[in-house]
Amino acid sequence: MSDAPQAPTPAAPIPAAAPAAKPAPAPKAPLPEPKLNAASGRLLTDRFATWPQPIFDSKWSRQGYRNGALMLAGILLGGGLLGALIGELAPWGDALYALVASRAAAAGFAPPAADLAWTLIKVLIVLHVILLNGLWAIWWERKISAHIQSRVGPTYAGGFHGWLQTAIDGIKLLLKEDVTPAAADAPVHALAPAIVVIPCVIAFAPVLFGRELAAASLDVGTLYIFAFAGISVIGVVMAGWASGNKYSLLGGLRAAAQIVSYELPRGFSVVPVLMFAGSLDLAVIARAQEGYWWGVVPRWFAFYPVVGQIAFLIFLIASIAETNRVPFDIPEAESELVSGFHTEYSGMKWSIFFLTEYGYVLLGSFLLATFFLGGGASPLPWTPFTLVPSWLWMLGKAMLMMFVFLWVRWTLPRMRVDQLMDFTWKFLLPWSFANIAIAGLYLAFRLR
Amino acid sequence: MSDAAALPSLKSDQLFINLGPQHPSTHGVLRLGLTLEGELIVKAVPDIGYLHRGTEKLAEVRGYHHCVVLTDRWDYVSAMPNNLVFCLAAEKLMGVKAPARADALRVMTCELNRCASHLLFFGTYGIDVGAFTPFLYAFREREMILDLFEMLCGARLTYNYIRLGGVGMDVSADWLTRAKEFLEYFKPRLDEYDTLLTYNPIFMARTRGVGLVSAAEAVNWGLSGPNLRGSGVNYDVRKHDPYSGYESYDFEVPLGQEGSCWDRYVCRVREMRQSIRIIEQALARLPEGPILAPGVAKVPKPAAGEVYAHVEGSRGDLGIYLVSDGGISPYRMHVRAPSFVNLAMLEEKLAGMKVADVIAVLGSIDIVLGEVDR
Amino acid sequence: MIGYFSRIFRDAKALVQGHGITLGYLFKPAVTVHYPDEKLLPFEKFRGALLFDAATCISCNLCVKACPSNCIQLENATNEAGKKVAKVAWYSIDFGKCNFCRLCEEACPTKPKSVWHSLDYEVVFTKRDEMVRCWKASFPFIGRYFDRQAGDFKDPEGQVSIHDVAPRRN
Repeated sequence: MSDAPQAPTPAAPIPAAAPAAKPAPAPKAPLPEPKLNAASGRLLTDRFATWPQPIFDSKWSRQGYRNGALMLAGILLGGGLLGALIGELAPWGDALYALVASRAAAAGFAPPAADLAWTLIKVLIVLHVILLNGLWAIWWERKISAHIQSRVGPTYAGGFHGWLQTAIDGIKLLLKEDVTPAAADAPVHALAPAIVVIPCVIAFAPVLFGRELAAASLDVGTLYIFAFAGISVIGVVMAGWASGNKYSLLGGLRAAAQIVSYELPRGFSVVPVLMFAGSLDLAVIARAQEGYWWGVVPRWFAFYPVVGQIAFLIFLIASIAETNRVPFDIPEAESELVSGFHTEYSGMKWSIFFLTEYGYVLLGSFLLATFFLGGGASPLPWTPFTLVPSWLWMLGKAMLMMFVFLWVRWTLPRMRVDQLMDFTWKFLLPWSFANIAIAGLYLAFRLR
Repeated sequence: MSDAAALPSLKSDQLFINLGPQHPSTHGVLRLGLTLEGELIVKAVPDIGYLHRGTEKLAEVRGYHHCVVLTDRWDYVSAMPNNLVFCLAAEKLMGVKAPARADALRVMTCELNRCASHLLFFGTYGIDVGAFTPFLYAFREREMILDLFEMLCGARLTYNYIRLGGVGMDVSADWLTRAKEFLEYFKPRLDEYDTLLTYNPIFMARTRGVGLVSAAEAVNWGLSGPNLRGSGVNYDVRKHDPYSGYESYDFEVPLGQEGSCWDRYVCRVREMRQSIRIIEQALARLPEGPILAPGVAKVPKPAAGEVYAHVEGSRGDLGIYLVSDGGISPYRMHVRAPSFVNLAMLEEKLAGMKVADVIAVLGSIDIVLGEVDR
Repeated sequence: MIGYFSRIFRDAKALVQGHGITLGYLFKPAVTVHYPDEKLLPFEKFRGALLFDAATCISCNLCVKACPSNCIQLENATNEAGKKVAKVAWYSIDFGKCNFCRLCEEACPTKPKSVWHSLDYEVVFTKRDEMVRCWKASFPFIGRYFDRQAGDFKDPEGQVSIHDVAPRRN
């Protein structure tokens, strides 16, 4: 900025020898017209055009709605066409497995070797789902929260609506110094993020990404997911303890109490679904929801009168609580505990906590879609919709649920610790038991 | 740093944490030494003084006109009442009375500033209890008030607008229409705030019945402003010791019932509606005339004497005790800062609460550390 | 029992309404300004960085007396006979102390004002020296600062001028 534009030098310098004590007369010439400096960026000269009301009323906003609607329609149409071209992904997986097996056989390996290679491929794919979800979900959360709050969020990185922002943040986090506080228990401090993230990855094994599309087909899929998702809390408690920070300690303890409590209603709210489907296998649960009542209303569990809605809401609320998000984010509680259990984490260790949070959001979204929204089934029984492959429907439903997660987060205030406990033990848990009883009545009277 | 807040001797199952001075929700640089048993607070010791700038002492070597600039820096989120209270005190000393138009402008700007201040409270209180979105909505509206102030006097925070004997700048016709435009925009937003936060069940659970201050306690602690009225005590300087023609405006004083955090909060939100009413009346009747009283010298030397003037600032009863010895600067200036007095009850109130309630109570008192420490 | 259910209904309704408001704003355009690309032009009364014109100043010291934070200093120019004239030899404002209160501008008796607030709100100081802005006869309105290391006057670097030709008040 060394060539910062400057006002012109005054024309008349002080005469070194002023002839007399009489002051120089003030210049009679009119003042020079003020001229805006072109180099100082785009200046918004009409301040009142930046007031909210004219913006809300403006033509631009109406045009913006139209553009947004067109864009959404374009995305849906393009996604549908692309999905129809690709088709179901499960056969592709079978073909890939056949290829791997034939190669292994040709190279003279024993059949278990091919299975091992195939498992590794699936693990890698699922791992990438979680990583890419981190990039996507954080960007989406930023944009959604920004637009809810009359802001725009990231706009620069990558060009289109700042889509590259999270990736660049990720690079920054990778390059950041990894600080272990002097008071920390160093090995435990380093181990905690791993303990948090590994169960998250493992829990994704039986998650259904479409009809029959899962990394592992497990009879006890539901139980398996809940079992592993519950382990992460150990890592959170370890992080809280090992940081050597009192705020972290409080956060870790809160997390332990909260997550253990919300496991119960979360598990019990699914019991009616399991009763209706008659299996713990996610694929069976999804298949049980195919078909339509009166040819129109999909037979999703969310549409079962009373019992479905109660189960859905309890599962949604408990899932939000499991992921430590507002209104249940007391372990992080920024305004109370600074950042709770990850106050003392930096760089990649910190981002692993973040990644795990969004991993669990994705897990919750997919589970909601599988248990209550019919999995990969089309919501409408007519041709163009039924042609769209099941993985696309599944993804769409999961993203809708993820939007609900974000929407709730940016609307509600935070609960207090005791209210949180009251809410789960005195409200959610009794209602989930009552819901099981209602589901039993349904089954007893064969109303399914 | 006071000795009282230093690390106390602890029992083995107690935990001492420093809440502040760097903490997301201490609203500045307040430090609270909390002794915890689990989540319960056994003892809380507030520690202030991190933002002390000595403006009371500085005033003793500044001229009266200069002191107005100092007042801007106490309660920096609502500087207009600060300006006003000093000018009222100095005018009393000098025996000057502001003209009618200046009085109307003073009322208008102070009430606008009250809206801005309460909006800031509304937003930050939302953040304190975990709702982030109301904060940005409140700032969106506050920005318009600040734009109005910038248009009026050139500054957005430290106005130096109210001067001895009147106000510094006159309003333009454009400003008046913009102010009306703002009020029209603002009124429906208040309903939205009520839906979004005030009657949100989680918010009510967090704040109702928390931090109860009975009317007798509130009076004994010397609370003022919405903190006092939240306990149901009807005391408002604008009603009980009117200044600048407040007696001629028609407005109500919102009162709380039980003195909980929610009552204090609701008092502020309701006060914004009353401020709108006052501004509308002032806009409707804005008299013509001069904005500065004649007879205020460039370097005033009021006769020796002492005065006390107080106004209803955004945070309570803001008073100034001014002593003149006939010189060009005050002999002594003392500020009765409402935030400082309101903060005093914290130590007693916090014991027995949960950590999360500390934030709710502290936020509901609505302190500005610039005013506490001065 | 009825109270229990009506309370659930009431709370749920309030929550849903709150979500309705946030959803409504999700579909409204943003009101923010994209700062480095777009900048707001302040109102004409805005109190930005101070500018000074040595040519019109009559060295009357009123601004020095009006300043509440004693940030202005000046020295009279003298003629060859050593007699003071109504011109400044040098004039300086310490922006580290400046309150941006406009009392100096209001006190200035010349027309147009010799010291006045520009609309520049992007003023950055990277060195302490830069905070003390000096003016001499041949210096521009924006002034220069005395760099003690270099021992010479330098142009301020941290100020983005909104105007090429700054507006002046009468």
